Amino acid sequence: MSTMTATTARVLRVEIADDVRAIVREPAALFFSVLMPVGFFALFVSLFGHQTSDSGSSTGTLMVATFGTFGVLAVTLLNPAISVAGDRERGWLRAKQVSGVPTLVTLAAKMLAALPYALAVLVAMAVAAALNGSLDAPVGKLVALAAVLLLGSLPFTLLGLAVGFVASPNATSAILNAFMFPAAVLSGLWMPLEIMPAFVQQLAPFLPTYHLAQLAVAQLNGGPVLVHILVLLGMTVVTATLASMAYRRGRS
Amino acid sequence: MTMEEVLKVRGARHRYADKVALDGVDLDVHAGECVALLGPNGAGKTTLVNLAIGLLSRQAGEITLAGGDPRHAATRRKLGVVQQSLGFPNTMRVGEAVTGAAVRAGLSRGAAGPIVAEVGLTDLLKQRVVKLSGGQRQRVQLAMALVADPALLVLDEPTVGLDVPARRRFWDLLAERRAKGTGVLVTTHLIEESAAVADRVVVLANGRVLADASPDVLVDRLPDRTVSARTTLSGEQLSRLPGVVSVDREGEHVRLTTRSPEALLRCLLAEDPALAELRVEGAGLEEAVVALTKASGTVVAA
Repeated sequence: MSTMTATTARVLRVEIADDVRAIVREPAALFFSVLMPVGFFALFVSLFGHQTSDSGSSTGTLMVATFGTFGVLAVTLLNPAISVAGDRERGWLRAKQVSGVPTLVTLAAKMLAALPYALAVLVAMAVAAALNGSLDAPVGKLVALAAVLLLGSLPFTLLGLAVGFVASPNATSAILNAFMFPAAVLSGLWMPLEIMPAFVQQLAPFLPTYHLAQLAVAQLNGGPVLVHILVLLGMTVVTATLASMAYRRGRS
Repeated sequence: MTMEEVLKVRGARHRYADKVALDGVDLDVHAGECVALLGPNGAGKTTLVNLAIGLLSRQAGEITLAGGDPRHAATRRKLGVVQQSLGFPNTMRVGEAVTGAAVRAGLSRGAAGPIVAEVGLTDLLKQRVVKLSGGQRQRVQLAMALVADPALLVLDEPTVGLDVPARRRFWDLLAERRAKGTGVLVTTHLIEESAAVADRVVVLANGRVLADASPDVLVDRLPDRTVSARTTLSGEQLSRLPGVVSVDREGEHVRLTTRSPEALLRCLLAEDPALAELRVEGAGLEEAVVALTKASGTVVAA
């Protein structure tokens, strides 16, 4: 490993440690992004978890995928974005830029620091479903589900960063929640699309959250994945461009 | 003292949309030297500093930081910056801030130890930075800036909000580093403080360098003298006296700037028999900077 790579790796570790400590030491900040999705999931899975879906799986199992999509996005969309908005507002981001830390390292650290919490949300939901007796997926499929959701959250994290680079922490939270909650409802993340009005079912395929959820469901039930992957890849290109533009605007 | 240039700016020009921020600026900071960058708001100081520390890409001109391009991360590791009011993350502790700065500079975590002791933070390592006093927070920033033994230290209003002992300690710490060859570029509105600590003063207005000289030379160029006294004469009466350039009044105490101190003194004594506490002084750096910027047609910020 070259000296430069080794230094970058050490800086990345320090950056991740800073971000993880910030979350651990102020756990109240996790209420909306961790406790609320898990709490809602526990409530819904206790009410509807034992029903059987059209695909034959228990609703509780499918809800780990759909509600899990919401839970992962609540962490990966909001936490890095609010964190970078706060760092920018405080001048901390500038301090890191002038210290020679590549901005990509700072951003990668914020994304990676959010992943353990996103994974914890998924594990908590799976445990809740198992305790409720409505989880009927093998561990291998659940691992694939987790991997897809964590990886698939990248374009959403980039979207959050694009907002965090130009808005205040409070505004970032408001803007992203204004996107996430309607998108969650309209994509069938909280309630199955089958019970939603027809116009919602027609609208859902136009939302990236729908495609991430369907990709997650496909890990449990099988089914086509290519179109969902392409949509998410396209969104990654768009949100990476937006984040890059927002970064330059915020810096100038 | 070696005269190696740690910052060299030649012909820097920069504009934002329709506003020219810098119009052909030259600036040097040598190893061990402290240069104060002064000027009214909007003079171009922030733009010049941001170019020097690599946060802005230059549009025209040449900028060299410690022999390299400040836009490159590797070059910026030879730079230390103390911001006016850096907000630390709420949960960060002193030790984490300084060791983090060491690692970001490509050093081991252990490299933070000596600088922590040097700036007197050893007893505060476990404290959250946001819980510290303003002076202590500035010392944390200074430790972070100095941990990699930078060639150039850039200070933005570093002592605003600090009490006198904290200011003295701050500048004493810097004097030790300057003696070892660290160059310092400081932007400040505390002009008299910069007169005390800077080897050279660069006055900037409307994106141009108006003066680049030692504080003493700048003051000597100014023919003005300051007459202070306790008097019952009104501001209007005082402003009509011969040679009066400006009048500052605080209660009965007045401070008059004049180019004809002898004539002014004769009139003052004639018009106010109760005149007391009379003093005549040379103008200070502040008056010199104000005179320079006024002469350039710049509106001087309060």
